[in-house]
Amino acid sequence: MTKLFGTLTAVDDLTMEVPRGTLLGLLGPNGAGKTTLIRILLGLTRMSKGRAEVLGSTVPSKDILPRVGYMPQNLATYLDLTVEQNLSLFGKLQGMRGDPLSARIDEALKRVVLSERKKELVSHLSGGMQRRVSLAAAILPDPELLLLDEPTVGVDPELRAEFWEYFHQIAGQGRTVVMTTHYMEEASQCDKVAMMHEGRMLAFDTPAAIKERTKAVTMDAAFLALVREKRKRQGVE
Amino acid sequence: MGARRALAITRKSLGQMSNDRRTIGFILVIPIILIIVFGKGFGGQPTNIAVAFVNSDSGPEGAKILGDLPSGTMDLRSVADNASAQSAVQDGTDSAAIVIGANFTRDLATGTAVITVYVDGTYPTIVSAVTGAIQSAIEKALGNSSIRSPLVISPQYVYGSSSTSTIDNLAPGVMALVACFGTTILSILILVREKSVGLLERLFATPLRPLEFVAGHAMSLAVVAAAQCIVLLIVTIVIFQATFVGSIILALAILILFAVGNIGLGMLISAVTQNEFQAVQTIPLIIFPQLLFSGALFPVDVVPVAWRPLSEVLPLTYAADAMHSVLLRGWGVAGVGWDIAILLVYSLLMLAGATALVRRQA
Repeated sequence: MTKLFGTLTAVDDLTMEVPRGTLLGLLGPNGAGKTTLIRILLGLTRMSKGRAEVLGSTVPSKDILPRVGYMPQNLATYLDLTVEQNLSLFGKLQGMRGDPLSARIDEALKRVVLSERKKELVSHLSGGMQRRVSLAAAILPDPELLLLDEPTVGVDPELRAEFWEYFHQIAGQGRTVVMTTHYMEEASQCDKVAMMHEGRMLAFDTPAAIKERTKAVTMDAAFLALVREKRKRQGVE
Repeated sequence: MGARRALAITRKSLGQMSNDRRTIGFILVIPIILIIVFGKGFGGQPTNIAVAFVNSDSGPEGAKILGDLPSGTMDLRSVADNASAQSAVQDGTDSAAIVIGANFTRDLATGTAVITVYVDGTYPTIVSAVTGAIQSAIEKALGNSSIRSPLVISPQYVYGSSSTSTIDNLAPGVMALVACFGTTILSILILVREKSVGLLERLFATPLRPLEFVAGHAMSLAVVAAAQCIVLLIVTIVIFQATFVGSIILALAILILFAVGNIGLGMLISAVTQNEFQAVQTIPLIIFPQLLFSGALFPVDVVPVAWRPLSEVLPLTYAADAMHSVLLRGWGVAGVGWDIAILLVYSLLMLAGATALVRRQA
């Protein structure tokens, strides 16, 4: 797929296939096109060229949305509602109701360690906690596909480790997790990594394979090597 | 005080505005529009009031008085008889009707002459303008003649009475104003806020459809509007002892219909503006033209004729007219059917427009 904003190419002729049950990291600096890619998959913006399929449906498709969980980069929760009211709203919009919804809310809150704050206004929570509410809203429908835009920003290391454990756990259950991050090292924990730079894909492989190919010890070094390689190629062109 | 720091803030604010071309446009154009709106719409005397007349006078004096009515105040049209004069006021075709009897000239001589004026007492401004104009025509017509007999102008109140108070007269219009401004502004601000913090995008990443979003918001704000109108009705009835002759339920239903249209308008405005700065600047453009040209506070007759087409395209004109007719004249659904039809079309158009545009904001 390709996505143009005026003269800017946000996503440049990108091709990839992500099997079910994969924990995929979209890795790259700001402006790499990660968020645009996720927005296209959700049908929030249209691609300029190309074709994409999500959960067996061609994008954009409203039908897949009940099976997709999404956590945007910005906060996107109602500060003037309680944690529970927020989750109840998003649950109902996803088509859940009644006791199953209440049960899922409790489960999601336990997962993000916010059960005790259920009745509090989101505005009373710290920034990190507010992001956890947003994550709880994303995992609420027990989605087959979880699209997470920078889910670990502002989350303390201990909880971040728990999140990763959870992501691996649900991927192990056959659910697909696609998450963006610009923390290169964090991405080592993904099954697969798509390294993006200025809308182009630099690499799409397992973290170990990427490191091996670039002869780098860290993901940071691997990324820099790939960017240099790309620049060189462009210079030749 | 540090002048440099203060200037840094000044430059920051001016810089924000100049980076936003549409805001500059608003800042310069809105005052021009407002001064014109106030100049043309504010505090004028009623002109071109629709008035029916019957002159059955066998003598010359009746025609003389009618001919001496000050030009511009009324648009006169002749009707067949007393009954049709009365019904012209009753069905709202004319604001007043002047009836001069068969023996008017003769009765002048005996001092028993009467001019009957059918008036709609729910518009005191119009009543006094019409009776005042007749009074001055009488003085002009008879002033130099030898006849100096007592002459009675007998106002017959088709609606309202001589005791119709200012609050009676204003309350229906004020309710329509509240249903207009409160809901429009709330609707603009709610959507602008959801847009600016990314909530709109988050909502549309669920199966939520634009129509569901618009309908949901419209219903919540309609509840707010209904609550406001009920409070207004109670206050005007209990504290000001306003006397409403018509169906309060019908009046409320009209207000809610109108409020729903305004909620749609608010959503449309926040859809076509790019940020809260621009959105807020449109508020005076909604408020002032409607306040002055709609007939909600002053009858439409005070609007200069050349500007009356503006009154005719403002939704508040129809809401205010319907409220006035229902509460003060006691009209039912049939009487205000045209107003309701227009408000219905307005509401549907606004909601459809909001539905079409809202998703593009996500």
